[in-house]
Amino acid sequence: MTATLTDRYIMATVRSLPEALQTEVRDELRASIADAVDARTENGEPLEHAERAVLTELGDPGVLAAGYADRPLHLIGPKYYLTWWRLLKILLAIVPACAFGGVAIAQALSGAGVGEIIGEAIAVALSVIVHVSFWTTLVFFVLERTGADTGARWSVDQLPDESHSGTARADLIASLVMLALFAGLLLWDQLRGWVPSDDAPMSILNPELWPWGIGALIVLLVVEAGLALAVFARGRWTMTLAWINAAIAVCVMSLGLTALGRGVLFNPRFVDEVFLANGVGGDAVTVLAVLSGIAIVGITVGDMVDGWRKAARSRLAV
Amino acid sequence: MVTDMNDTEFDGHLQELRRGTIVLASLQLLRTPGYGYGLLEQLASAGFPTDANTLYPLLRRLEKQGYLDSEWNTDEARPRKFYRTSEAGIRLATTLTQEVAAIAAATAALREEEN
Repeated sequence: MTATLTDRYIMATVRSLPEALQTEVRDELRASIADAVDARTENGEPLEHAERAVLTELGDPGVLAAGYADRPLHLIGPKYYLTWWRLLKILLAIVPACAFGGVAIAQALSGAGVGEIIGEAIAVALSVIVHVSFWTTLVFFVLERTGADTGARWSVDQLPDESHSGTARADLIASLVMLALFAGLLLWDQLRGWVPSDDAPMSILNPELWPWGIGALIVLLVVEAGLALAVFARGRWTMTLAWINAAIAVCVMSLGLTALGRGVLFNPRFVDEVFLANGVGGDAVTVLAVLSGIAIVGITVGDMVDGWRKAARSRLAV
Repeated sequence: MVTDMNDTEFDGHLQELRRGTIVLASLQLLRTPGYGYGLLEQLASAGFPTDANTLYPLLRRLEKQGYLDSEWNTDEARPRKFYRTSEAGIRLATTLTQEVAAIAAATAALREEEN
């Protein structure tokens, strides 16, 4: 009866050890426990009580076994933790978004409804998040136990950029130039056209959007330019500015998607003469429409996220 | 060793400071061959209180690294594994002892500067 508790303890300790180690550890541990129990019983403690106390003091056999086998008691230790965490953040920022976009495109091309497209894309993105997290962690779990070198070294070049007025001015110039260029392209498209044509100018965007649709877009571009100036004046992005930026982006996105959804975004004459007349099938035109939709969503959402990211970063820096 | 009423408050730091000294004390004591539980008692009375579940795996590790030699003694009724500090172990113990002395001297110098 008294022997069984010790036996069970030794069994539990030795079980997970390599074969070669088992006999040695079993015999030594048995002697050590017996010595400790003897020391207690010699002081008048009852045998059963002494055995319990000794085993309790030795603690969880799993911890003891890990000590004998020199095994880590953590999933990923300090040597790999940051490499794992940085890699995981990069992968989670890229892979689920790509999967979401890919599935959305595939669903849209196969003619699924909006609800089905979004539902399917979210489901796939979620399962991709789980897979990316699991497999990355598994790789590092193995690295931790094999002691391999990931080759990741920190260097001063990795220090995050400190924002200063030079980059702020460059940002301002860049966004103003881009906005002016875009506005210019819009006007050129509507007033002059691209393809040599005898009668009316051949625009890419539907001439019926002129003046109201295109006008609204140009107003939004002007507001965006105002925002760029406000950011420069404040010297940094704030959450308010980021929200205004997001609101502009939503307006641009709904404008574009509404026109696209109603089939009035592109000039039907342009589609006819450039695509259909040259033997491009109706399917390919659908693909073009879906890709345009994805591009509109991608660019505007990217712009929103960029604003929030910059606002969050400048809040940290202050 | 140092025992005052703040012991529990400083436990973490004290443990950290003492951790390395267990190796040193074990290597010194095992210049005379000894076995697990016996060494545990010796360490305690020499002022290096150690948990059994720390010491036993430590002995195994030091043996694997070649700082301890071992031999089973079956003369008595209870067979025990006896450890003895190897040549390499003695060199390690000497180095560790010098290091502890250097740290003690440096700590003392800090206190003198203060006064």
